[in-house]
Amino acid sequence: MPRSPLQIWWLVPIVAALALPPLLNGYWLHVLSVSWYYAILAASWALLAGYAGQFSFAHMAFAAIGGYASGLLAVDLHLPVPLGILCGIAAAGIVGAAIGWLCLRMRGPYLSLFTLAFALIFQLMLIAEYQFTRGSLGLSVPEIFAGRSDTPYYYTGFVLLLVSLSAMSFLLRSRVGIFLRALREDEDAAEACGIDTALYKILIFTVTSAIAGLAGGFYGHFVGILTPNLVTIPEMGLVVAMAVVGGVESLPGAVVGAVFVYVLSEVLRDTGQMRFVVLGLLIMLTQRYAQNGLWTLALGRGGRFWRRPPPRAVAPEAAAPAVERETNVG
Amino acid sequence: MFEYFLLQVLNGLVTGLIYALIAAGLTIIFSVLKIVNFGHGALYMLGGYAGYYAIQLLGVPPIPAVFVAMALTFVVGVIFERVMLTPLYSQKVDRKDEYAIIVTFALFMVLENAAIVAFGPFNKRPPSFAEGAVHIGLLTVTYDRLVAAGFAALLLIGLSLFMQRTSVGQALDAVSQSRDAAAIIGIDAKRMFAVAFGLGAALAGGAGALIAPIFSLSPTMGDLPSVQAYVIVVLGGMGSVPGSIIGGILLGIVEGLGVGFYPDANRALAYSNAFGALLLIITLLVRPTGLFGRAHLRME
Repeated sequence: MPRSPLQIWWLVPIVAALALPPLLNGYWLHVLSVSWYYAILAASWALLAGYAGQFSFAHMAFAAIGGYASGLLAVDLHLPVPLGILCGIAAAGIVGAAIGWLCLRMRGPYLSLFTLAFALIFQLMLIAEYQFTRGSLGLSVPEIFAGRSDTPYYYTGFVLLLVSLSAMSFLLRSRVGIFLRALREDEDAAEACGIDTALYKILIFTVTSAIAGLAGGFYGHFVGILTPNLVTIPEMGLVVAMAVVGGVESLPGAVVGAVFVYVLSEVLRDTGQMRFVVLGLLIMLTQRYAQNGLWTLALGRGGRFWRRPPPRAVAPEAAAPAVERETNVG
Repeated sequence: MFEYFLLQVLNGLVTGLIYALIAAGLTIIFSVLKIVNFGHGALYMLGGYAGYYAIQLLGVPPIPAVFVAMALTFVVGVIFERVMLTPLYSQKVDRKDEYAIIVTFALFMVLENAAIVAFGPFNKRPPSFAEGAVHIGLLTVTYDRLVAAGFAALLLIGLSLFMQRTSVGQALDAVSQSRDAAAIIGIDAKRMFAVAFGLGAALAGGAGALIAPIFSLSPTMGDLPSVQAYVIVVLGGMGSVPGSIIGGILLGIVEGLGVGFYPDANRALAYSNAFGALLLIITLLVRPTGLFGRAHLRME
């Protein structure tokens, strides 16, 4: 079972994060505020890819759907920003459900290819339909808070991160979490155990896409401009790097990975594109030598996961009893 | 109008043959290693630059430079396979599909951004294979396109001869059908994995070197053809080399016609790249095994 996020030691990083802003200069405050956006994305992608095994490349497209929906509603219909963000979340969730439904028969790399193609088409649509989206020039959207200070955004982003983390770990601690891992380990075996795999696949796409939409809405109203660059492969690569480096099977790992990778990429900003080379190598090294991420490794659990002999053929049997037990309890 | 149609078909045929070359490499990697190489487009780009620098710095003539590019990408492919993909063959990795997607995607990130650092973000154009163009009636086709198409066709023919007539090719095919059965008759699967990844990379690199004089080189040139290559590979059926050749030519022609005949010219240009992606989505939805898919090569 995933451990409760409300254990005492969890308060330490939370309090530290709350106390940090007065100690930071404007630049790093901005960097950390943006890193909350990436942390929400990385954690929700980790839930989708790491827990449920749906390796989607469309996550940034859902963030863009949330951002653009909210931004366009605010610009064209003068909707209040919080209401716009809620609509953005709903829009991303609905499209996510549709994509999940379309992907029902696809597994592994096929799903990745499908979502990659979807993200590409969506990005080109944002560019081509410039009369709505302002194309590559970018859509200027109203900001949430008046004034130039990033402090309110820092706290808003952090609260949104905590809220989405709580929602996701609530989901994982319920029986759904175990169904999701069964889905990842062996879809046929899960189906044979009576799990409605179609339902949970659509559910997990809906939930993670809605959370990505929330992140996108926050980001748009924070930086004040949305461009099709949000959906590019390098952006997706950044989120993959965050989740993989932190630990793709751990929500806190993904958050730590997101902050670490984003801060690292800012430290290396002067090196230009070289920083993406460094990030790519970091992904390779992490995958090669610590598949469960540096966070898991740092907690001292890396060795156990890593050396566990995991014969693939045994996975269904390993997943099945857990599911049965849970079904009986429930 | 008919000449225009014919020209689009002809241009489509040339790009189609290049696509087919990239896709054939992807197919060999897929059928032997059972992974999708998400770094394939970057290897294609690397081949283009390798050819360019072989011509500019070493003074190699343009056509032999294609072989230099293929040799270099072969070596890069084998090194990557030895260093990063060996965990796939043991029980070290839990979920092989995800591992392969992540590390090949990271290869793409590293190569593309390293190319921006090393070669600069601006376009480069190597010298032509042959200056001039042929005129047939109202049609004009540059020699570059003819050379590239002819070279690509020769490479594809060579590839199918290699797969059918040589013992290494046969061994690759055997490993792709059953690793265990291949091991029983004494084929060292591990060596075949390295050969397959190197060969796939070399085909992508050769395609990059061939296309360079027609479109110019840029570090991001591999983004799109790699999507096209996935379209072709899925359309033709994962793991089927003839399928990927037919799929490549088909996509090239359809794309050429689609851009040429789209009603709104501005949007046609913006959406020209979405065309292949849409085809990929439709193929995955309607017929995931592709047109020529072999049953035993189902991806799991």
